[in-house]
Amino acid sequence: MSVITTKNLDIGYAERTIVKGLNIEIPKGKITALVGGNGSGKSTILKTIARILKPQNGGVYLNGESIHNQSTKSVAKKLAILPQNPTAPEGLTVAELVSYGRFPHQKKFGTLAKEDYEMIEWALEATGMTIFAQRPLSSLSGGQRQKAWIAMALAQGTDTILLDEPTTFLDMAHQFEVLNLLKKLNSEQKQTIVMVVHDLNHATRFAHYMIAIKDGKVVKEGKTIDVTKPDILREVFGICADIIYDPKTGVPLVMPYDVICDSSKSHLHSLKEVAAL
Amino acid sequence: MEDVKVFSYKQMISSKKNKVIKLTGIMLLLLIATFILSMNLGVIRLSPWEVTKTFFGFGTHKQQLILFDFRLPRIVIAILIGAGLSVSGAIMQGISRNPLADPGILGINAGAGFAVVTFILFFTRVANQSIFLLPLVALVGGFTAAILIYTLSIKNGAVSPVRMILVGIGIGMLFNAFILLFQMKMQYHQFMSAAIWLAGSIYGSNWKFVLALLPWILILLPYALYKANILNVMNLGEQNATGLGVMIERERFLLSITAVALASACVSIGGGISFVGLVSPHLARRLVGPRHEYLIPVSAVIGSILLLVSDMFARQLLAPNEIPTGIVVAVIGAPYFLYLLARSDS
Ligand SMILES: Nc1ncnc2c1ncn2[C@@H]1O[C@H](COP(=O)(O)OP(=O)(O)O)[C@@H](O)[C@H]1O
Ligand SMILES: [Mg+2]
Repeated sequence: MSVITTKNLDIGYAERTIVKGLNIEIPKGKITALVGGNGSGKSTILKTIARILKPQNGGVYLNGESIHNQSTKSVAKKLAILPQNPTAPEGLTVAELVSYGRFPHQKKFGTLAKEDYEMIEWALEATGMTIFAQRPLSSLSGGQRQKAWIAMALAQGTDTILLDEPTTFLDMAHQFEVLNLLKKLNSEQKQTIVMVVHDLNHATRFAHYMIAIKDGKVVKEGKTIDVTKPDILREVFGICADIIYDPKTGVPLVMPYDVICDSSKSHLHSLKEVAAL
Repeated sequence: MEDVKVFSYKQMISSKKNKVIKLTGIMLLLLIATFILSMNLGVIRLSPWEVTKTFFGFGTHKQQLILFDFRLPRIVIAILIGAGLSVSGAIMQGISRNPLADPGILGINAGAGFAVVTFILFFTRVANQSIFLLPLVALVGGFTAAILIYTLSIKNGAVSPVRMILVGIGIGMLFNAFILLFQMKMQYHQFMSAAIWLAGSIYGSNWKFVLALLPWILILLPYALYKANILNVMNLGEQNATGLGVMIERERFLLSITAVALASACVSIGGGISFVGLVSPHLARRLVGPRHEYLIPVSAVIGSILLLVSDMFARQLLAPNEIPTGIVVAVIGAPYFLYLLARSDS
């Protein structure tokens, strides 16, 4: 079952159309990775799904209902988005940032109810940010800051979270920390996660489902194992790669070796050569 | 076994709230002290005791005249204008995410001033008789300036902070040039009153001015406070605000109107006073952080103190002659603006 569907979406900036006739389906309760080269339209698509951009044509459907026909606040109760490189005002503490996630649930005058407090504390706990709750965001490392923003999205209490490059600019350990957190939220809270990731091996390892984009069009959409194929990678990224499968989990591992496909250079060939020696 | 709670957001917020309330209390005391001091200074001095006595109706006729007809309205005006301009600045900084935004620097005040001067020139008699019209007239000018600044500072769909400031300064200069041109056409008495008014003198204040300004402050300040939550979320940027369910265009429109109306109303009564809207929100942010439910009231009180003190200096420095209050404020505000400008990196 899909939680988000787009129907014949055309998206553009001013006159320039970036995405044309996009039809995608995001499966409910799964992690979906949006992959594609720089400028292929991943952020544009994510922003349109989250109603930050208005499509020129077509529509976005959340649980079968058009997001354009409901109040933006009611969408905010079902769908959270974490944009690329978000910024917070100087001096804002982690707990305060997380409390802003309750905005769509608050009554006028912004008083918090018992449930709001519980959600804020839970979101801090779930992301391991409780110990940093009173610290200003600016005093944290990149990875901690990213987790604080994820905590804000969690406090929003939505079933679906969209994240635009949540791991970019983080070191390896923090990348895995963030990805493992998302995995945990997905498996424990049954949250649907849609994320843009650059590292293909992170995508294959953490995502159940993959959508490969090139020039604003879907090249291939489906189970991770079906999308991670050499011909698709060549078309989407213009790279040549060997794919091997983790013997324990069956997860595909991408081993890119060049931008010009020359089978004699294939890594697997060289492995065979090494074996032959 | 009892559950040991490591962190309670409710506790954190209530202790923060207490801190802010205490701080606001201290500043209100400071305001009252300035108020008393301000009463006590002047060409004719009233001691705190005389002030108290007169306040409760036991002063001489002369003392009553000085207190109620000269001193008090002027002090009240200074407090209202200080609060109004500060909150206007706080809103502008909030919605534009531009720490340099201020109705004076952005040329909103000049736009409002231009409208008022035009009005004085062409409708001298009406202007003198119906002071209540002045805020409305100023509003027209303020909006014209705001619309110009907004359309001219958009580039590729985005508004860069420094570009906005430069455009604002340009627009301000343009309006000021027009004001000068109009002043050339004025009679001597019109010219003088316009010049004093433009420099930001609350010199001619009386209760009629207070009454013309009060409703604007009484409506718009609480309205700004009511929007504190939305301003907080807008501070996370347009994309986050939209994601959290803010109707960004609508809110930005409403808040812009609020900020421009506040500034225009203050300008129509107090003349061109710049930098208050810049300085007080900055000081307030240092004291209570970026959340608008604290920032708005604290900036308002700081602005009131700032203007009251400036007005005191304006009266005292070259007594018995007066310097326009706006100039005193600029002496403090302009260096602060330059400091912030030097620090901003975009
Ligand atoms: N605000 C904008 N105005 C105009 N063009 C834009 C804007 N944002 C992105 N684009 C263009 O849209 C295309 C897709 O960009 P984007 O969705 O950000 O790609 P990705 O996230 O996949 O790197 C690019 O060609 C980019 O130049
Ligand atoms: Mg992007």
